[in-house]
Amino acid sequence: MALKNMGDLKNIVADKPRKKLVLAAAQDQHSLGAVLRAWNDSIIEPILIGDKEGIQNICYENGYDITGLRIIHEPDLDMSIEMAVKMLNNKQADILMKGKVGTSSLLKCVLNKEWGLRTGNLLSHIALFEVETYHKLIAVTDVAMNIAPNLKDKIAIVNNSVSFLNRLGYTMPKVAVLGAVEMVNENMGATLDAALLSKMNQRDQIRHCIIDGPLAFDNAISLESAKHKGIKSEVAGDTDLLLMPDIEVGNVLYKSLVFFAKAKVASIILGALVPIVLTSRSDSEQAKYDSILLSAAASK
Amino acid sequence: MIRSLSEMVEKVHSLKKKHHIAVAWAQDPNSVVAIHRAVSEGFAEAIMIGRPAEIKKICNSHDIDVQSLNIVEADNETVASAKAVSLARNGEADIVMKGLVGTDKFLKEVMDKDKGIMKSGAVLSYVGALEIPAYHKLIFISDPAVIPFPNLDQKIEMARYAIEMTQRFGIRKPKIALIGASEKMSRHFRNSVDYAIMCKMAERGQIKDCIMDGPLDLFLACDRKSIEIKGVQTPVNGDADILLFPSLESCNPFYKGLMLFANAELAGLIRGTEKPVIVMSRSESEKSKYYCIALSCLMA
Repeated sequence: MALKNMGDLKNIVADKPRKKLVLAAAQDQHSLGAVLRAWNDSIIEPILIGDKEGIQNICYENGYDITGLRIIHEPDLDMSIEMAVKMLNNKQADILMKGKVGTSSLLKCVLNKEWGLRTGNLLSHIALFEVETYHKLIAVTDVAMNIAPNLKDKIAIVNNSVSFLNRLGYTMPKVAVLGAVEMVNENMGATLDAALLSKMNQRDQIRHCIIDGPLAFDNAISLESAKHKGIKSEVAGDTDLLLMPDIEVGNVLYKSLVFFAKAKVASIILGALVPIVLTSRSDSEQAKYDSILLSAAASK
Repeated sequence: MIRSLSEMVEKVHSLKKKHHIAVAWAQDPNSVVAIHRAVSEGFAEAIMIGRPAEIKKICNSHDIDVQSLNIVEADNETVASAKAVSLARNGEADIVMKGLVGTDKFLKEVMDKDKGIMKSGAVLSYVGALEIPAYHKLIFISDPAVIPFPNLDQKIEMARYAIEMTQRFGIRKPKIALIGASEKMSRHFRNSVDYAIMCKMAERGQIKDCIMDGPLDLFLACDRKSIEIKGVQTPVNGDADILLFPSLESCNPFYKGLMLFANAELAGLIRGTEKPVIVMSRSESEKSKYYCIALSCLMA
């Protein structure tokens, strides 16, 4: 099974009990707008932590109706994150979202050894794209979190991403390990890691997915291109997940898809106890809304 | 398809070709007897380089007609080796064979940059065809004699040499098992990393004309029952034609153990040279030497 568009995520969410999303330092117009819209659409049940007055002012100015919404007053930014993380640690909520705080202070709390959201897994970022020119949604990792993952990191990233896709209903997602070429080249480390990941998959050391790589971008997503090159692969042309060699490639691909291909994107952080919505200011409100939708679909 | 060393000899007979073999420092009873057998069976012409008196003495004591061998005088083992190699270089010999000379001295002449017979840029390695009564066909092994710890590039060449040899035995797509202690890929085991890379290269057609898998332990490589028990999916499927070992010290005792305890026979050759080069330990039997000569005629 593969998801065709963002709308399919709504069907997944509709079949589940409503998930509670905690917005830390909620006095942030960008995130608040998306959260309240998702609340109106019955996607999540928000809990806002932050400066109550600030939150109310934003809502008043933008005409948001927050009647019946749970707001916990905590004006201190650091304290509001800590409170949010502890709430998730205590299983009082299901999803964490970043408001008006820096990413690094949020992650610091997430990784706290006593009351954080650590699982022992590496944290990794996954982005799901709806691109008109591809026949289904395509997931891309890691475009934002891990800078230059080594083989061990890549294994962890694949495992995070695959169990996420499994939760979305993909029983055997097709994973393409991206290189500049589809051939093994000793001078291109990404192609070597790709060969190793493929072998580990064949030997059931990485499970619940089909891995092939190296694949160049064209043969990963175009069957015609793969056929043209004579590549025999179950993944080529039908990729569900693209594993990036490093953050530079990943980030440029992410932005090209958004800016040139006008792709819709949703992204979350995996590897913690709960999905984390960590969108940046430059993301559109739609992208934030879709990310919330994605986190609700991915939530256990 | 040739399934035994005696079938290999039959094949050589059927080619109805006579190859000139230059033997360096030839006054070695086993070599003289073996080469005389090849000469009398009509597939070899011998050029015995060394001490004429001693060679004649050996002939007399083994009832061999001295006239059937061409004897060339040489003062010492280095001169004899250089002479044998130069005959191969100028086309008077098709095959070079080591007699009583030490392997190091002999190979030094073979590998000499100006006067030797190395293919330019080639890796020097050894491939053996092993006949084990308990196995249903010949099994080709590499490298029991030349490269102590092959790196990735050397392993790739070793595989190519072995493939080339099996093709002469009528095996069109040999199954190559890359031998390790287990079938799992571990980044801590350099060999398993190399093997995973090689498998991908074979998948992508960078190593041609073979079915390759590894790491595999010997059981998975050569025993179908073990495959069923372990449930490992492998295209080699317990039916390996070629075993590529991670080191000289793993390959060498493998074949020697089988010769000692399981009545195995080996025929082997040096590869990477312009013409076949026979190098065997001086203690090897006359029968093995004869098989090596036949193999070299098949490969010439």
